[in-house]
Amino acid sequence: MSSRRSSRLRQSGSSRISDDQIADLVTKLQHLIPELRRRRSDKVSASKVLQETCNYIRNLHREVNDLSDRLSELLASTDDNSAEAAIIRSLLNY
Amino acid sequence: MQPTSTMNEEFLKKWQMGLQMFRPSIDNASVSERKRAIKLSADVAMASLRKGTTCWSRALIQKTATEDNFLVRQMLSGIKEETLINKKLPKVMCHRKIVRRSKKILMRRKSRSAMEEVAAKAKKLVKRKTQGLRNVVPGGEFMSNNVLLIQETLDYIVSLQTQVNVMRSIVDAAEAGIER
Repeated sequence: MSSRRSSRLRQSGSSRISDDQIADLVTKLQHLIPELRRRRSDKVSASKVLQETCNYIRNLHREVNDLSDRLSELLASTDDNSAEAAIIRSLLNY
Repeated sequence: MQPTSTMNEEFLKKWQMGLQMFRPSIDNASVSERKRAIKLSADVAMASLRKGTTCWSRALIQKTATEDNFLVRQMLSGIKEETLINKKLPKVMCHRKIVRRSKKILMRRKSRSAMEEVAAKAKKLVKRKTQGLRNVVPGGEFMSNNVLLIQETLDYIVSLQTQVNVMRSIVDAAEAGIER
């Protein structure tokens, strides 16, 4: 019994330290995400911040994917319009 | 905490280097093969900025290596292979089940006030959201605690923003050039 109680206390002590750390980190996340930075209020809940973070990261993934597609198609224009291809290739040091 | 111009430059250089490796084949390749080359080089370039110091960058490099080992080796020829591997085994899931079970037993014996109920619910919600984050950040399964998870997430986001900014600048400039 006593060992369980003391382990419970130990657990809650260490989680108190990391709760503060987590709160600090969540605030940093809030400032990084455009959706939340606009709101400016400090009253956003941790779970909301985490949810928006997930959404934001997924959006960034999607954007990288889309940009890769566009770039791939731009590089396709080699035969006609060699001027355009030259522009892209110089931008990419290609 | 924002992408710096140094990060932008380093990313661009690395990415260009990666694209050079596809040089002979890329001209005759299909659109999808070209896209794959572009994306893989961009990912390795982004991850290499961290030089093996973050969990997400190691995981991303490992993942890309399974798709194109040669590319990764060429782009990262300066870095030791050992520093790039996430050594921690994914024990997170097993541990959490045990913790959850013992917490359930402990909770049953406590009588909880309304405030404690609310706090417990909030904690559950946060746990679900952190799991979502683990699914979306590379190497999330290796991040054994939430503090590490969020630290890695912060760094990963800044790196992603770098990647997106540079890629977007190039695409916009190229498309603007064409419209003229």
